[in-house]
Amino acid sequence: MTLTAPVRVDVSIESAEPAKAPRTKRGLVITLVLIVIALFWISPLALLVITAVRPLSDFIGNGPLSWPADFTWKNFSDAWGIGNFATTYKNSAILALIKVPLGVLVSAMLGFALAKLRMKFRRTVMFTVFLGLTIPIYITIVPVFIMMRSAGATDSIFGLIGPYLAFGIPFEVLVLQSFFRQLPDEIIEAARVDGAGDWRVFFTMILPLSVPALVTVAILDAVATWNEFLFALILLNSDAHKTIPVGLLNFQGQFANNNTGLAAGILIAVVPILIAYTLLQRWIVGGLTAGSLKG
Amino acid sequence: MSTFSRRGFLGLTSAAALGAGLSACTGGGTSTSSGGATGAASNDLRVFTYEGDETIGLFKAQLKKFDQQAGTTTTVESLPGSGAAVYPDKLRTQLLGGKGPDIWRIWGGQIGSPFAKAKQVLDLAPYYQKYGWDSSINKQAIEGMTFEGMKAGLPLLSLGLGAWYNKSLFAKAGVSAPPKSYAELEEVNDKLVAVGVTPCGLGGKYGWDIMRLFEYLLEHTAGPELHDKLLTGDESWDRPEVVEAFTLFKKWQDKKWLPQGALGLDPSDVEPWYVQGKTAYTIVGPWTEAAAILSAKKSPSGFGNFELPTDKTPARHSGFVEGYMINAKASNPDKAAELLDFLAKPETQKALQITASTVKGAEPDPKSLPLSAEWAQKYGSNPFYTIQDQAFPKKQADQYFSVQSDLLQGSVKPDAAAKKMQEIVSAWAKS
Amino acid sequence: MATTVALSKPKRGGRWSPWLFALPALIVYVGFLVYPAVSSLWFSLTNWDGLSATYKFVGLDNYFKLPSDPVVVTAVKNNLIWTVVTIAVPTVIGLLLAIALNGKVHGKPILRLIFYTPAVLPLVSIASIWGWLYNPQYGAINSFLRLLGLDGLAQPWLGQDSTALWAVMVPAIWLRTGFPMLLYLAALQGIPNELYEAATVDGATKWQQFWHVTMPSLRPAHYIVLALSLIDSFKVFDMIYAMTYGGPGTSTQVMGTWMYFNVFQYYQAGYGTAIAVVITLVAIAVGIPYVRSQTREAS
Repeated sequence: MTLTAPVRVDVSIESAEPAKAPRTKRGLVITLVLIVIALFWISPLALLVITAVRPLSDFIGNGPLSWPADFTWKNFSDAWGIGNFATTYKNSAILALIKVPLGVLVSAMLGFALAKLRMKFRRTVMFTVFLGLTIPIYITIVPVFIMMRSAGATDSIFGLIGPYLAFGIPFEVLVLQSFFRQLPDEIIEAARVDGAGDWRVFFTMILPLSVPALVTVAILDAVATWNEFLFALILLNSDAHKTIPVGLLNFQGQFANNNTGLAAGILIAVVPILIAYTLLQRWIVGGLTAGSLKG
Repeated sequence: MSTFSRRGFLGLTSAAALGAGLSACTGGGTSTSSGGATGAASNDLRVFTYEGDETIGLFKAQLKKFDQQAGTTTTVESLPGSGAAVYPDKLRTQLLGGKGPDIWRIWGGQIGSPFAKAKQVLDLAPYYQKYGWDSSINKQAIEGMTFEGMKAGLPLLSLGLGAWYNKSLFAKAGVSAPPKSYAELEEVNDKLVAVGVTPCGLGGKYGWDIMRLFEYLLEHTAGPELHDKLLTGDESWDRPEVVEAFTLFKKWQDKKWLPQGALGLDPSDVEPWYVQGKTAYTIVGPWTEAAAILSAKKSPSGFGNFELPTDKTPARHSGFVEGYMINAKASNPDKAAELLDFLAKPETQKALQITASTVKGAEPDPKSLPLSAEWAQKYGSNPFYTIQDQAFPKKQADQYFSVQSDLLQGSVKPDAAAKKMQEIVSAWAKS
Repeated sequence: MATTVALSKPKRGGRWSPWLFALPALIVYVGFLVYPAVSSLWFSLTNWDGLSATYKFVGLDNYFKLPSDPVVVTAVKNNLIWTVVTIAVPTVIGLLLAIALNGKVHGKPILRLIFYTPAVLPLVSIASIWGWLYNPQYGAINSFLRLLGLDGLAQPWLGQDSTALWAVMVPAIWLRTGFPMLLYLAALQGIPNELYEAATVDGATKWQQFWHVTMPSLRPAHYIVLALSLIDSFKVFDMIYAMTYGGPGTSTQVMGTWMYFNVFQYYQAGYGTAIAVVITLVAIAVGIPYVRSQTREAS
């Protein structure tokens, strides 16, 4: 593909020549460089964290970029109440727990059919599904709202599941089918010879062998679901059904924003995703590689 | 639009989305029942509003009180944070979705009027009579919610904009009293710049904040009568008064009376600058006392406000109203009107801590909000012109902001800007 | 790569079995994405304002109006710049970071986490934080430039037509570098050492190894990164909306935001939908070579 030549690759290149001692030294240099970059990278986030732990009066009185005169944890407890997190957390969690596994499962099934089964119109189906990658979400909002209204599914988190699934499917199918294709056919054949049907092959062989790809897709999907705002805003009305991004609106008033509360609220909102990511990242890192083995 | 949209920023924006769509549907004839619905009138009322976290609790408490007296069950839904950018669209969606709220809060001017024109709003004239609102509510405010002769809403807030300034920075520049004429205001600006203080803090993101300066300059050059006619398209913008206003506007930026790079600044960031001491003043309404001064834990005594001097009579300032409308299809309009009347009582207004009530007897409390009280007392009864982003529909307002932006960046000259404005306004007024 | 050699001989479930696997996803996909997208086409042929109960069929009028709308011209140009930059830059930076992190580096997990974190933030926070950083007088970016003595470079980044779009791309890149990095890192770790050893034996230089061993091995990762970029880049909307609101003036409008303004704020739903249809068609046209390459790869 058309990646342009990375400018700085030489770093890793020149270096392999000298033997062991310089090698660790080089590791150190790269580490240092990376640390500097990382500090820059994280500094906007540090601003978010600082904003979250300073009193609102200090923020308004001195501006966002001043060093706080005072620190407080109170923003977090306030934010919990203002953002209605007890409710929105529950709603977002239910939504993610239903949507993400379901989306990954149906996508994996379709991906399996496309990659390993003999199916009519296979290329047409593939083409149609992948084309969905290019369709902007906002073109569908109006018709989706009309559909949901006539189905009586507005103001319910369950009404969000359909559109969320649909917009996740193209990417998930793309990734999963290409991963499945790289699984050796021999093992499938062997299982078949033993009399296993497609479903058994799928559940007992394909899925377990594909955990890294499934996790990769699931994490991306979870982040997207967790932060989705447009559909949630349009379809949900009552406080009892709002999701986290919609609840974050509560920090803005007509005439002033509660920026410190918002910062605390964002941190509260982001924590589960970061934890999930931290726990699951070894799967991602272990993943995708099956493919390159055959390289 | 609007004035406060920033919050809306949130991008969320999205919100809006809905509006559109929905409607379609209704078109199709799906809309559910409505007004005439049979059977006993329901005592359930649904209210849709945009109260944020500081005020929603107070509001709910008052509704509970009303429910006890009136035997109703009122539920509230609020979409805060959206400001006028998003809220009206979400409201539209709800209305077209068939189960719209019975009562909703809304701004006046061009934000509220589409709902009246689309006949989604109940004509409140009978209730004005029944409850005597004509005498208890500020007349000018009622005008702001009257569209094509129909009393479409009950205005409860009337907000006027003026200059709010930092006394110590004025003192530092040797300014002892607020300016009494436009020339004096320019002098104040020069003195402030001389001591290294940026005079006027306004931000150009969204357009409506920096517009507050231009509309003031236009009031100054054109005067009340012409200004009003310009806003309705009854007079051409392609005239010397408008060119002069644009020339002054550019002058404010060139002389550094506005912050550096003002066009890209977010108003919600810039507004508190006069409290932080980064600018000397801003053009804002009384909400700033609670939002910027008190919430920074500063004493109001360090700040002051004055009406921007226009050198014209009558002296006017920019303003806008907010109030409530009743759904044309409300299942129990009498109870809904009773609720509005309850909200319009001075005690309720006070309990809601409204700082700029239209209701007689609910003026701001000088003890808790001394500056707002002072503003209300000195200028509250002065006439006002409709804040320009509510004078125009959103599309024309955005085009107008675009002209402002080009002018300040130097790509359009004042006379060309005036011509462009005339094109924009006449295209709208004709349609 | 990937062979699909043994397409299973049609087994008992026979030829229906594949469809049982395919249908659940297809039904949802068609019902909630394809059908709504197609039905939007209809509105683009009307003069519907988005509010009224009635509207007229106006044929292709809305489409004919597009070329004479100066904002559309700006928007198309901005879309092109945006797409090229926000696909290329995060991919390259992500790859560089991955290569660096794949070496002998200390504290890998924490570094990975740092580079990835921006990707999980809600948009609200990104717009406010970067707005503060960009502030011309008090923002960290200009303060930093002045600290380095580069006062001349300090700009009102978001406040002038010439820099606003570029200024919005920076947070977009910041946000979107993490995932490519993660994928490339995973892919790099999967390249067997023997490949490099064999190349060394053949006398390949490091540079040659990179192009002939590393890059080909990264192909699956490239495809995924590109798919993600396609999703994000061409459809840009929320980043612009939140950071500049299309301004100053209309200088940072892109097709997505311009469609949004028309449909939801200007009461011109017919015209706005026409814009959306055009973006979608262009996005599809641009995406087709990619989609075909993916489809072909599979057969």
